[in-house]
Amino acid sequence: MSEVTGVEKNSGLLIKFCWVIALRAEATPLIDVFNMKIVENKSLFPIYANELTGHALVISGMGSIKAAAAATFLKNHLKINAYSAWINFGIAGFYRDPIGEIYQANKVVSKESGAAFFPGLRLSKLIPAATLFTVSKPENGYEEKALYDMEAAGFCEMAPSFSCNELTYVIKIVSDTPNVSSSLISKHLVRELIEKQLSKISDILAEIEILVEEEKKRLSIPNEVLEFEKRFKFTETNKYKFREIYRKWKVTFPSRNLDLSEFLNSKPKEIIIKLEKEVLANAKDWNVL
Amino acid sequence: MIETIFFEEQIAEHQTTQRIRRALPRANWVPIDRYQELFNKRHQNFKLQKKNPALILAKKYDNFVLPVPSGFGMESHKSFYFSHMYNCLYDCKYCFLQGMYSSANFVLFVNYEDFFTSISEKINEYNGKTLTFFSGYDCDSLAFDKLSGFADDALNFFSEFPNAELELRTKSIAISSLLQRKALSNCIVAFSLSPAEIAKSLDSKAPSIGRRINAIKKLTNAGWKIGLRFDPLIYTADWQKLYSSLFSEIMEGLDPSMVHSISYGPLRFPKNMYKKAANLHPDHKLFAFPMEDANGVISYGTKIEKQMHDFLKSELTNYTSENKIFQCIS
Repeated sequence: MSEVTGVEKNSGLLIKFCWVIALRAEATPLIDVFNMKIVENKSLFPIYANELTGHALVISGMGSIKAAAAATFLKNHLKINAYSAWINFGIAGFYRDPIGEIYQANKVVSKESGAAFFPGLRLSKLIPAATLFTVSKPENGYEEKALYDMEAAGFCEMAPSFSCNELTYVIKIVSDTPNVSSSLISKHLVRELIEKQLSKISDILAEIEILVEEEKKRLSIPNEVLEFEKRFKFTETNKYKFREIYRKWKVTFPSRNLDLSEFLNSKPKEIIIKLEKEVLANAKDWNVL
Repeated sequence: MIETIFFEEQIAEHQTTQRIRRALPRANWVPIDRYQELFNKRHQNFKLQKKNPALILAKKYDNFVLPVPSGFGMESHKSFYFSHMYNCLYDCKYCFLQGMYSSANFVLFVNYEDFFTSISEKINEYNGKTLTFFSGYDCDSLAFDKLSGFADDALNFFSEFPNAELELRTKSIAISSLLQRKALSNCIVAFSLSPAEIAKSLDSKAPSIGRRINAIKKLTNAGWKIGLRFDPLIYTADWQKLYSSLFSEIMEGLDPSMVHSISYGPLRFPKNMYKKAANLHPDHKLFAFPMEDANGVISYGTKIEKQMHDFLKSELTNYTSENKIFQCIS
C-alpha cells in the first residue's frame, strides 16, 4: 500500500500505548520515563501524553468501574486509534514472595461477578504469567495462588472493544504478599518497585509495538483513498465498494497511484467501475505468487 | 511450541490431559470452566492470535459425528465427519477456519472415547453398509498428533471395524505414529496439495510440497492407502503447467494401486468468510483477484472453474482410473 494515515474517523494523536493506571504513585515513573505532559486536568481522570514517544496515560483512581470509565474517557478524549495497545499497569498483591516481581495476567477474574477475561498475547519469553483476581476491597488473605488487584476486570471489560483482545495487556508488579503487608506500601516503595522493572517494561513494549505496527498497517487507509472520499460524495455502499476495489487495484498495480485529475468529472460509481475494469482486464494474466 | 494451556477443570485428570501435561510440563497451565468462555470471546484478533496460539483442552458433549457437508466426500459412500480439534497449526491463506472462528487458539477435545462411541453407534445404525468417516474438517488430522496422540487411538478403534473407512486429511509430515504400526486397509491418509510455488506463498507454516510428497511415498511403501486432495484449486499464470508438474512429481515412483482416490475442488468462500479472510490479508494477491459473487458464494466464476475442472480431470486420468477421481464442490 502507499502512504498511510490514521484510521478513518480517528484523527487523534499518534498514540501506540495507552496506559490505564489507578494511582498517581504508580503512574509517575512512567510519566517521567516517557516524558508525558498533562493534556487534561479538569476532569475526574487526568490524562498525560507524548505523541513523540507514542504514549498516553490516564489515572483512573481505585476500583474496577473507574478503570473502565477512565479507559473510555482516554479513548474518546484523544480519539485513540484502533491499532493502539491498552495496558492496565500497577501494583498488586500476590500469594507468595518476593515483592518487586513483574507478571502478565493471562486470566483476570472479577471476584464480584465471576466474569473471566484472557487479555493479550502471551509474553512468556519476557515475563511470567499468573491469574489475577480483581477484588472490591483490599485483599489480605491471598487465598488463591494468584495476583490481586482492584481494577483489571473493569479494564478488561472495556479495553478489547477499543482495539482487540490481543492488544490489551494487564501487567502488575508485586507489592504485597502474606509476608509483606500492604500497610507497608508507600509512594516511595511503589516508585522503587516500578523503576527497578523499567528495563523489563521497555522489552515488553518493544514486543507489543511489533503487533501495534502490524495492526496499524492492516487498518490504515491510504491518503489517496481519503482524498477521493473527501472530493467525491460516496454513499456508504459505494464507499465500501470503492475501498474494496481500491484494495484489489492497489495490490494488482502496486506502483500506480490514483490520479485525481483523471476523475475530475466522474461520478463516484464511475470511479468504481473504472477500477473494476482495470482489475478485471488484468485477470487473465493473473499471478497469485 | 505451546506456551499456555487452558484446561477445563473437569478434564484435569483425563488420561489425554495427563499425557499432554507430561509432554509440556513447563507450559503455563491455566484452569477454566468451559472452553467457550475463552474461545468465543468477542474482539479477538485472529491474525495476531495466530502468532502465539494457546492450547485449550476441553470436553465435547454432543454432535460428535455429523453428516459431511454436501460436496465434501465421495458420493458413493455414506459419509460423516468428526472434529476432535478446532483450528490448525498451519496458517493457509485460503483456509475457511480463519473466517469460521474468531479465535486462532487450538481447542482439543480430550474425550476421544466419546467420539468412538458415537462412531460405533453410526456403524451399528447403518449395519453392513460401508461408511466413511472424515477427520480433519475443522483441523489437520495429523499436525498435532505428536501431542494429541489421536491418530493412534483412532486407528486402534477403526481396526475393529473393517467396513468403516477413516480418512485422515492432512498437510503434515508427522507420520511416525502410522509408520510404527501395520498399515490399516480401511484408513486413507489424504494429503492436501498444491503446486510448490503456490503452497510456498499460501500455505504458511505448513511443510513444503516436497516434504509432503516424501511422506506420501514413505506411507505407500509401508502399505498405507493414500488420498490426493487438490482442494482448493488456485488460479494463477501457468496454472496448467504447475499442476501438471505437481501430478508428475507425486506419481513418479508411486504405485498407482496405493492411491485410494483423487479429488479436487474449486476455491470458494461463503461471502462473509471471504470478507473476514480478505480483511485479515488485505495485501495478499489471493484476495485481489476479481472474484465472482453468485448467491453469496465467492469464487473464480464458472468459466475458470470449468477450465480447471476439465484440465484436472483429463490430466489425472493419465495416472489413475476415472472411478477414483472426484470433484468436490462445497
